Amino acid sequence: MTESSVIIAGFGGQGILLAGEVLANALMLDGKDVTWYPCYGAEMRGGTVNCEVVASDDEVSSVNKKEADFIIALNQLSFEKFLPKLKKGGWIIANSSLVKELRSRIDVNYFFAPITHLANELGEIRISNIISLGILSKIGKLTSIETLHKALDMVLPEHKKNLLPLNLEALETGFNLQPVPVTVG
Amino acid sequence: MQTETRNENLIFKIPKSLKEGTKFPFCPGCDHGVAVRLVAEILDEFNLREKTIAVSSIGCSVMLYDWVNTDCVEAPHGRALAAATGVKRTNTDKCVFTYQGDGDFASIGLAESMHAALRGENITAICINNTTYGMTGGQAGPTTIMGQVTTTSPTGRNKEYYGYPIKIAEQIALCEGTAFAARGSLDTVLNIRKTKELIKKAFEVQLQGLGFGFVEILSSCPTNWRMTPQESHERIRKELFSVYPLGVYKE
Amino acid sequence: MTKKLTKGNYAIAQAAINAGCDGYFGYPVTPQNEIGEYMSKKMPKLKRAYISAESEIGAINMVLGACSTGKKAMTSSSSMAIALMQEALCYIAADELPAVLVSVMRAGPALGYIYPAQGDYNQAVTGGGNGDYRIIVLAPSTVQECIDLTYKSFYLAQKYRNPVTLLADGLLGQMMEPVEFKDYPYPEIPNDDWALTGAKNREPRAIYSLEAKEEVLEKRVNLLFEKYKVIEENEQDFEEYLTQDAELIVTCFGSLARNVKSAVNECRKQGLKVGMLRPITLYPFPVYKIQELAKKTKKILVIEMNMGQMVRDVQLAVNGKVPVKFFGKAVGKWIEVETICEKIKKEIGNG
Repeated sequence: MTESSVIIAGFGGQGILLAGEVLANALMLDGKDVTWYPCYGAEMRGGTVNCEVVASDDEVSSVNKKEADFIIALNQLSFEKFLPKLKKGGWIIANSSLVKELRSRIDVNYFFAPITHLANELGEIRISNIISLGILSKIGKLTSIETLHKALDMVLPEHKKNLLPLNLEALETGFNLQPVPVTVG
Repeated sequence: MQTETRNENLIFKIPKSLKEGTKFPFCPGCDHGVAVRLVAEILDEFNLREKTIAVSSIGCSVMLYDWVNTDCVEAPHGRALAAATGVKRTNTDKCVFTYQGDGDFASIGLAESMHAALRGENITAICINNTTYGMTGGQAGPTTIMGQVTTTSPTGRNKEYYGYPIKIAEQIALCEGTAFAARGSLDTVLNIRKTKELIKKAFEVQLQGLGFGFVEILSSCPTNWRMTPQESHERIRKELFSVYPLGVYKE
Repeated sequence: MTKKLTKGNYAIAQAAINAGCDGYFGYPVTPQNEIGEYMSKKMPKLKRAYISAESEIGAINMVLGACSTGKKAMTSSSSMAIALMQEALCYIAADELPAVLVSVMRAGPALGYIYPAQGDYNQAVTGGGNGDYRIIVLAPSTVQECIDLTYKSFYLAQKYRNPVTLLADGLLGQMMEPVEFKDYPYPEIPNDDWALTGAKNREPRAIYSLEAKEEVLEKRVNLLFEKYKVIEENEQDFEEYLTQDAELIVTCFGSLARNVKSAVNECRKQGLKVGMLRPITLYPFPVYKIQELAKKTKKILVIEMNMGQMVRDVQLAVNGKVPVKFFGKAVGKWIEVETICEKIKKEIGNG
């Protein structure tokens, strides 16, 4: 049984839960069993928002795992909070526009990218979540950006469907990024 | 000499909305029976008996379903207007009324009562105010007036220990969803007639879909007041009218 | 039918609508607010009743009123707010009304916090009302089961004229999973012999719990318990997993079963003879199945996200035939697969 888990975390307003929902839908379209579990309630106020997506070829074994295979951290607080929860050999995708490029663990892989900056370049700061999914698609190989795009079509409400082309662009931007060579920090 | 009782000669008959052979279990001189009868007469007048669902409460009126000749559900103490809301909102074509005491309506059930009024529920609510908890033996209640001696205010109600009584009809009249709010009394034949008119209006607003219809009825409690029926009605006039003035507060 | 990624709370709400719920009455409390929010959008469009009640007490009594007229009504809430509803629930049970209550557990006691937990087993199963009465309790373990068991809740409520609690938890309420919305699969139960619909062309009906005559009150309670006996005979439901040759059976309920099942799979790979039994009906508790398993297995390990509540029902059913062990915690991350594996190994090792 292959099972992968992804934690997506950042500020409220960065589209964290939506990104998770898009990812979960994409994985469902790929025929996986999938669960999406958010932080909720007062936990969301002020601090970080996060959600966990688990996908499995078989039944998902547990929804809220001890360690994740992939982490997307869109702000400093999430980076600090979730780096310890990354599985050995796992990947953390961090938004270097807001996260200091420190590599405090040597047993994991880092992908720093100026995601907020890239989103600004695309003309929509709120699309950083989708750029990060593009990056995840490239390095995680969990699902393709085409499937992610299909999933976006499922998740976005009617009145936001006009944003689909921009979202595709964001997925491609993320997908085409080259990892910065690792330097000892 | 035997006389035949003809319908046109009848000056007194039991309303159809009261069960045949009903014997009220109330104490001698208690006004509850008059109030229930008035409600039944109004149900008859509007021909509502077959489409009415009554909601009873906890207190002396708990066995309402034994007297009114309509369908009836018993609500837990204080919750009659919540239960009635559930009945009415899922059965908008039915006539729904609650019959409660002042403790049920305005103490334990104040939130349920007032919110039903605020929501403007198309329900008629009758509240009997006898300034005490009658069923449990005459304890101090939300409407016990200042100075009144009860089994739990042995030296009389004072502000230090008990605070102040609630003027229910006035409070309900303040709610925007209230279509009709009034206070009546059953101490004289004239007041009984007037109170019947108030009850009629409280049902009328329901039938017209205008909102919450409410009548507070001052009632005697000779047993717990330790008075004769006559003295009880005298007390209503002398002591209660000044605290709880009769009249229509909203229409 | 295509699957749709759906949040547990929304799944419950939509399933209630599909089941023909005529009225939803609720008051907010995390982690089940999505149910009321969803209902406030959908019910008015369907011309069904929706009320943001003044309190949980108001909400459950509105359910009582609606159910007394034969309408399908529900409320949803959590933990300390469910505690507020106990009086009316007891009336509903005594009045034999078909109400549905959704309880999405948070961590207690008292205000505790909104973290998921399973500490309200006792509250749901034994209840907080007075006197002798029972409430049917169903515990889903996946979002799909949230739908299926919401359907079943409405059905059993009508079938037995008894309140039913759907006991979920914060994790189940908040998580999303791909689900299928099939149609409500149960028959409608006629209620024209008892519902309050106005006394037209028939004698008036009254629904009440007051009974001043000793012998009549006793008879009423006995009748209730005759009904409960039928429920206990007919409705015990459970999920059994690899129990045939199991030397150790892990028993758990609700969404924790996912983790337990994974642990059972892990241990099986290592050659350990372990299985899982998950009660789906917490009342009626699946005693017959547990009695049968107690004859075959060597030990039962009960795992719960609480300090040991269902374990008592397991002990009663096992009645000393085999040792019953317990592991649990009151709050925090759902007990992890690795931890469950360790516990299984320890218990099997101890013989």
